[in-house]
Amino acid sequence: MVGAFDYAPAIVLLPFLSFLVALAGGKYLPKGGAFGGIAATAGSLLLSVWVFLTVSGGETHNDTLYTWVAGVSEETVSLELGLLLDPLSAMMLIIVSLVALLVHVFSLGYMNDEGETGLPRYYAGLGLFTASMLGFVVADNLLMAFMFFELVGLCSYLLIGFWFRQEGPPSAAKKAFLVTRFGDYFFLVGVVAVFATFGTAAFAGPDSFPHIAELAMPGGESPDGAVNTFGFDPRTWFTIVGLLVLGGVVGKSAQFPLHTWLPDAMEGPTPVSALIHAATMVAAGVYLVARMYGFYALSPTALAIIAFIGGFTALFAATMGVVKREIKQVLAYSTISQYGYMMLGLGAGGYVAATFHLMTHAFFKALLFLGAGSVIIAMHHNENMWDMGGLKEKMPVTYYTFLSGSLALAGIVPFAGFWSKDEVLYEALVHGLGGSTLLLGAYAMGLVAVFFTGFYTFRMVFLTFHGEPRTETARDPHGVRWNVKGPLVVLGVLAATAGLVNMTPVAEMLGMPGIELLHKWLAHGGIEMTTSEHYVTLLEEQADYHATHLSPLVPGLVSLGLALAGAGLAHVLYNVPSPERHTDKLGAIKTLWYNNYYQDELQVWLADGVVRPLARAADKFDQGVVDGVVDGVSSVSLFAGGRVRRIQTGIVSNYAALLTLGLTALVLVFGIMGGWFV
Amino acid sequence: MVPPQWYLLLSAAVFCIGLFGILTRRNALLFLMSVELMLNAANINLVAFSVFWGNVTGQAFSLFTMALAAAEVAVGIGIILVLYRNFKDVDVTKATTMRW
Repeated sequence: MVGAFDYAPAIVLLPFLSFLVALAGGKYLPKGGAFGGIAATAGSLLLSVWVFLTVSGGETHNDTLYTWVAGVSEETVSLELGLLLDPLSAMMLIIVSLVALLVHVFSLGYMNDEGETGLPRYYAGLGLFTASMLGFVVADNLLMAFMFFELVGLCSYLLIGFWFRQEGPPSAAKKAFLVTRFGDYFFLVGVVAVFATFGTAAFAGPDSFPHIAELAMPGGESPDGAVNTFGFDPRTWFTIVGLLVLGGVVGKSAQFPLHTWLPDAMEGPTPVSALIHAATMVAAGVYLVARMYGFYALSPTALAIIAFIGGFTALFAATMGVVKREIKQVLAYSTISQYGYMMLGLGAGGYVAATFHLMTHAFFKALLFLGAGSVIIAMHHNENMWDMGGLKEKMPVTYYTFLSGSLALAGIVPFAGFWSKDEVLYEALVHGLGGSTLLLGAYAMGLVAVFFTGFYTFRMVFLTFHGEPRTETARDPHGVRWNVKGPLVVLGVLAATAGLVNMTPVAEMLGMPGIELLHKWLAHGGIEMTTSEHYVTLLEEQADYHATHLSPLVPGLVSLGLALAGAGLAHVLYNVPSPERHTDKLGAIKTLWYNNYYQDELQVWLADGVVRPLARAADKFDQGVVDGVVDGVSSVSLFAGGRVRRIQTGIVSNYAALLTLGLTALVLVFGIMGGWFV
Repeated sequence: MVPPQWYLLLSAAVFCIGLFGILTRRNALLFLMSVELMLNAANINLVAFSVFWGNVTGQAFSLFTMALAAAEVAVGIGIILVLYRNFKDVDVTKATTMRW
């Protein structure tokens, strides 16, 4: 019988087809090829839903489609492309294809209606991006994931630099490409390390590398030395490999210290920001950790590092978001901060919580970016919030959907972000109290960030939509059409309701564990060894993570209180007819935050002041010593050749004499060796 | 019967005369003659040992050597002609264009 899984490759291929169509024939198509993209992503969405339904029926799929390098013996590895469809990837497929579809529709309003040129290139980029992201989601092994990871990075480069005739976008595109590539370099080394250690890079199944690693741990079923750990203790080696792969994750998910590319990436068109820098591409990093969580769960060190990077990034980015003037910049820093929460959740042992936050964040952040796009259309492409104000009456649809997204971002009950962010923090707390005290530090940072999140989110809302209009444009904004409002409404509803699938505090309070749908979804029916139940066991056995029993109610109320305090402060300061620039009162701190803790300058200094002299020294060594040796050898033979060639006199008698001498010498040597003269 | 060492001495003497000619003469024709002497020194050895062992293979072989020497002379004289045409001389030490 032909089922959903037989059509699953088409989920990836349809957007790829739209890429080819837009590239080849976009010029001749109406709207620059937009409809092809919309049709393709709609098809992907439908197929994803079908796959989702099939998976929820208890079926999973883990199969190789194509072997592009076949191993010849036990010692060699095979490189394969395959599909892995389990609850996690099925859920992610829907998120990606839904957001991609809505962004395609929104682009009609943001790009076509604004009379942009180069639209075929734009839609080709979107199509290729969607295809590669979907390919990444269904990847069944680490190498395939890496390949699509790189494609995603390439598309990001192409789309950020879409307006390549201006000055900012090409440089931002290069920065995004190089910074993420820096992280991917470690990822590539990690992929090779995984192949060298396990001989396979499959994510799931009995021959997958997380499972082999699990058996190879001390006390596992495999005998000692079953895998080659290069002389390290297995746990140490797995930590090293995990951290190498984490390099790619940190780059792609814009975690400290490789976060600097994301705010600059806002130079790209706003729908691109929504698709790539909020909902999907940055999600790739977090998704990768979730995908190979069985591997990370073996290493408490790697988990602690993930949790700390996450907690720190959450707080770090949130503080910078407080002082930004441009609406997209605030959203960019909030994106970094929210991905910090996901990393915190993963590092703290909250696999389900982090996945949950990944889902809700994809919806509400795409919504916020699209809402910001709508505002930017209305403001004739002015992004400065201090030039806005009072847009509430002029664009009610945008306002209310944006508000829904903001409430979700700030984590106000009952919007989506509350449930997911809260669960992340709750997991950090219970595992911290349960013995892994280090996690409490990461929890504290995450908790403080909640306050900042509430503040900057509502500062943004009030500055943009409330008060009196501060400029002529804000008094008479440009209208937006259905193609902008439609996606906003869909996402607005999702941002309000997506959290309801996993209301842990409510389930706890009412004693109804049945309503935690996401927990059930990830715990059962998946491929063995990749269920969240298995991960919990692993965490307890290997990483020594134990959850104390604690009602989620009190921590939930604490973070809700902090979020409300932040929002309330923003209300007091900015929800007035003509708000002042209160952040100026912060003085030096504001300057520090506004300049992003001078991280860009630091990185430029690192490149210019440290790496360049190093490179120069290496160049000197190369030019002087290495080339010197080579040149020396050649000049010795040149000199010797110049001398030796003089025996070539051209006089035959000399040659004859040399021949005779040579023969005599040979005879003498033979004679002495042979003992003729004794 | 004459013992073979006499033949060997004769052959060595002829060979050395040829070698001496090659090392000291400058005339290309004398060169050619010296080479002939050296070849025939070898022939003497072949024939002498053939008689000594009562085996005709050596004598047959010396016939081949003579045929070869004739061919060599043909080629050699050709070369000397060309040498003369190009350098107006048969002095081998004058033709030194193929040098370093």
